Amino acid sequence: MPKLGLKGKLLIGAVVVIGLIVIGGMFFPVSQPTIELSPNYGGTQPAPFATLGPFYITNTFIAAWISIITLGVIFFLGTRKMKLIPKGLQNLAETVIEVLLNFVEGVAGKENGRRFFPIVATIFLFVLMNAWLSLLPVFNVIGRGGPSTEVTNNLFHTFLPSIFPNYQGFVVSVPFLRSANTDINVPLMLALVSFLCVEYWGTTSLGVRTYLGKFFRFGQLLQGMGQLFKGKAKAAISTILYGAIDAFVGALELLSEFVRIISFTFRLFGNMMGGEVLLLTIPFLICWVFPSIFYGLETFLGLIQAVIFSVLTLVFAVMAVSKPEAEHEH
Amino acid sequence: MRYRIGLAALLIMLTVLLSSCSSTENLGVNWHGLLTQFISFGILVALLLFVAYKPITKMLDERSNKIKESIDQAEFVKQQVAKTEQMVQEQLAQARKQGQDLIAQAAQIGERLKEEARQQARQDAEAIVARAQVEIRAERDEAIDKLRGEFVEIAILAAEKVINKALDKETHRQLIQKTLEESTKLKKGA
Repeated sequence: MPKLGLKGKLLIGAVVVIGLIVIGGMFFPVSQPTIELSPNYGGTQPAPFATLGPFYITNTFIAAWISIITLGVIFFLGTRKMKLIPKGLQNLAETVIEVLLNFVEGVAGKENGRRFFPIVATIFLFVLMNAWLSLLPVFNVIGRGGPSTEVTNNLFHTFLPSIFPNYQGFVVSVPFLRSANTDINVPLMLALVSFLCVEYWGTTSLGVRTYLGKFFRFGQLLQGMGQLFKGKAKAAISTILYGAIDAFVGALELLSEFVRIISFTFRLFGNMMGGEVLLLTIPFLICWVFPSIFYGLETFLGLIQAVIFSVLTLVFAVMAVSKPEAEHEH
Repeated sequence: MRYRIGLAALLIMLTVLLSSCSSTENLGVNWHGLLTQFISFGILVALLLFVAYKPITKMLDERSNKIKESIDQAEFVKQQVAKTEQMVQEQLAQARKQGQDLIAQAAQIGERLKEEARQQARQDAEAIVARAQVEIRAERDEAIDKLRGEFVEIAILAAEKVINKALDKETHRQLIQKTLEESTKLKKGA
């Protein structure tokens, strides 16, 4: 018998393990997941794991804190001993921050860029970390639960019902870890943070009067009214007409500021929830290998969502701090 | 500060509004969760500000400053080198010019010395020649005088013999002398 090297032994071991998983999986199909729109906040949903005063410890809260700690540890280790010539983890941390900083400064300019940067970058990193960590296999499958009430359809049962009984899998009803992005409170919180920061930056950069003047544009309308009273009817009509359009546009912009909260929330929530459902569903259609394609897709999607959320916040911030164009004056 | 209070009020209003809708509760909107996530996000911002944004932006700025400084310094050194090189070139050119001047001066001096020597030699030669001429003339004159004296004596003697008569010697002498003076080619000083 030829003597096997370490490489050969490892290869044979891997093949055996994969074989066992494949064969074992046929006997014991994976348990059905429960897809809930809401994490365990109580009420009609399962109760939270613990409550600390007003704070509810839910599975999404734990996941969010894993993201926070991961980010904190990576950057802490990366920036612990900063050197002028970067090395190892410092390189990674610096690259990430530099790319983000350059992007933010490129869009918003140097001064505003530095102001917006912490919020924009944190939104990006938080969303990205939540999305990517939720792809780990420990998410969604470990938790409280019980035997399934429904019978799992077993392939072997169809042919040999006497040998292979139908398997009633274990169903995780309350996973310990669930992607924080799929808790609507996280996208909503991020949308509110984005909204509040945009309004704050807008008002502090332009002043309350100028900033609110972007939305309440009655100047031209009032001017038209004045013309009407002075008896310049012909001029007044066009001024009032344009004034009315202007006021309407202002009102629309005011509305869109608030609509953004909703669109921000549901864009992220929908994408992440959809991705999660996709990843849980695909193994039941075609198991083995095939779902990994969707893991790749979800990796990409997480990055895209993080970019979209942060870039939109940045763009809205740039729009908010830009001076209103004096369009209605000519 | 006023803005912040206003925005916080807006936030509370929105939160209450969103949580109070019965339809949003089915989606999982929950003010406990919202509050918890707000605080988590706040902590994350503070944490990242402390461990990532501030030190890294500081380091990036420091590095870009350092690079800029280095480039400036390199530029300065380059300029300095160029300047030094130029100075050396100038000095070299100056030295060369000085050397050439010196050589030219030396050549000039040599030329002058030669000219002077030549002049001197010519003068000396002329002086010698002049002296020699003077001497020659003096000797000639002397010889002529002597010759003339003898000739006179001979002439007188000859005349005595011819006429056999003693002549008034003195008168004859004067006569002959006079004749000689008038006729002869052997003039003194000619």
